[in-house]
Amino acid sequence: MILVPRGQRAWNSQASKKKRRETMRSARAWCWWVAGVFLIALTVSGCPKKAPPPPPPENELGGPGSSGGLGPGGLGDRDLAPSDPGRRTQSRVENPQSDVSSGPLRDIQFDYDSFDLSAEARDILQTNADWLKSNPEAKVEIEGHCDERGTVEYNLALGAKRAKAARDYLVTLGVPANQISTISYGEELPVCKESNESCWQQNRRDHFQLVGR
Amino acid sequence: MRTIERARRGGERLGFKRVIGLISVVVTIGLAAPAHAQIKLQITEEGGSSLPIAVAPLQNSGGEGEQRLGEEFSTTIARDLNLSGYFRVIDQTPGGEEREGVSQEAVDFQRWADLGALALVKGSFSFDGDALTVEVRLFDVAQRKQLGGKRYRGDRRDLRRMAHRFADQIMFFLTGELGPFDSRIAFVSTRGGGRAKEIYFTDLTGTQVTAVTKDRTLSLGPNWNPTADMITYCSYKRGGPYPYIIDLRTGEQRRLSFVVAYSGGRWSPDGSLIAISLEQDGNSDLFLLSPDGRVIRRLTEHVGIDVSPTWSPDGRQIAFCSSRSGGPQIYLMNVNSGTVRRLTFRGDYNTSPAWSPKGDLIAYTSRAGGFRIMTIPANGGDPQEITSGEDPTWSPDGRYVVFTYRGRLRIARKDGRSVKQLTAGGGDDTSPAWSARLE
Repeated sequence: MILVPRGQRAWNSQASKKKRRETMRSARAWCWWVAGVFLIALTVSGCPKKAPPPPPPENELGGPGSSGGLGPGGLGDRDLAPSDPGRRTQSRVENPQSDVSSGPLRDIQFDYDSFDLSAEARDILQTNADWLKSNPEAKVEIEGHCDERGTVEYNLALGAKRAKAARDYLVTLGVPANQISTISYGEELPVCKESNESCWQQNRRDHFQLVGR
Repeated sequence: MRTIERARRGGERLGFKRVIGLISVVVTIGLAAPAHAQIKLQITEEGGSSLPIAVAPLQNSGGEGEQRLGEEFSTTIARDLNLSGYFRVIDQTPGGEEREGVSQEAVDFQRWADLGALALVKGSFSFDGDALTVEVRLFDVAQRKQLGGKRYRGDRRDLRRMAHRFADQIMFFLTGELGPFDSRIAFVSTRGGGRAKEIYFTDLTGTQVTAVTKDRTLSLGPNWNPTADMITYCSYKRGGPYPYIIDLRTGEQRRLSFVVAYSGGRWSPDGSLIAISLEQDGNSDLFLLSPDGRVIRRLTEHVGIDVSPTWSPDGRQIAFCSSRSGGPQIYLMNVNSGTVRRLTFRGDYNTSPAWSPKGDLIAYTSRAGGFRIMTIPANGGDPQEITSGEDPTWSPDGRYVVFTYRGRLRIARKDGRSVKQLTAGGGDDTSPAWSARLE
């Protein structure tokens, strides 16, 4: 048995923080939903008579058929707020070009199987940090990416390390931590599809995606 | 409740129930006579040549049903036997065999011997309403003897499974050990279009593919429970990615954890625990979860990457991939004591371990120029290269690995001989996970 109470506690609080965030997100979605129902009810009948049904539970049950569409006019059982991370991934999957629309924030690149920040990466992060500090209402999601070489699961974990490295550096440069979130896409969303070093280098990157204000 | 019902309907629509439905009756017909020594030697001997075998289309012995079914049965068996690497399937029949009987007394063995066949598969099917009955036998052509036979009952849609089951039996009659073909392989594919990755599973023909997810996002890292009726995977559908479990019998899905995970985790051999790598604050560590998502225990606490846990068949050890010494290497952990030791030392990039169901070997991916599938004895020793590829998964009988090579699934014998393509085209197929044998 290796019970590590301290670590366990830390982990639990981390988990409950995440859970709280989830709840807040779904609460926000709920507000939108209620607003929507209210609006429709007003238009149709003038006055809502019935209380709206309770929000969907966190652990949603959905058959593989029923979880099909997330787009507008989809199932209506999902958080469709603009900042919804699931939706963001979907749009990134559907539209690779969204990778270039990160406004003034520039990507940084990494060596193979490494999450060390090069001098060049630090310079770019300084510029990104300056912009984020002068635009405190902006929220950025740092996406960690890898090239295609290597195992899917390991590369996802490596992408997380890359995103975390940039996040930590931005925080040391004075960017408030709550302005930044991180996600790893591993080797799943390459910007360049050829199998050569120049392409792989472009793919080993942190991308800075503005995620609404 | 409404969602549950909808989920059920979803499951039925996809035919999950049918797909994992059982073939109701299996009867051994005739005595399973011991295989003839000559044939048996040929198939088990290391480096032995492959056994020439003929597979006659099933004959329609009554009721509704087209002859096409008889051919579907024989082509499925033929494909399995080809994949096995132990057989050379003779691609012709003497003709007129529909007038020849299917029992030992009725087969004209000389006509099959003239084709060069040492073994022969022959049988019949019949319908009674929707109920399908298949009787099929394996013969030793030279000895003019039945080596074994089976009767299967099910319905029309069970035909392929009956064929896979009999292919497993053929391996049993000739080697004393069942084959791996009545099983499924889950995998990730872009065949749905665009960059979206969905989870699918296929039977061993590689052609009967069923979609498990339809989320139009990234779904990754599938793995089976020991009874092959649930799949864990991770998905970005609600951000994360988070791990999920889908029950193929009902189509019901639930989130396993609210912590980020980069695969669905791996069920312990007894099905009571799921070993999984969870990410917190950029770092991945291994945990044991109950199948309802409770954290049972934390297994690693290290600043390095710890991913891809795989259980020993006795459930006492876990092999995993860790970057704790720099580049990724394979490590072993004693689950009870937590003791960790390093297993791989050759090469600077060794990932995605898979523990053989026989317990003796661990397959993994190694980077040396390209990526290669390696095996290493589980108690340490020299690694052996199998072939080029990534992400190996073992067959339930521990004789084969399936892996990814350039966006296709391939199968190889564990000694690296007989490498064959399993899936072909329509998108990138990756991250295969071979189920247990179906019940």
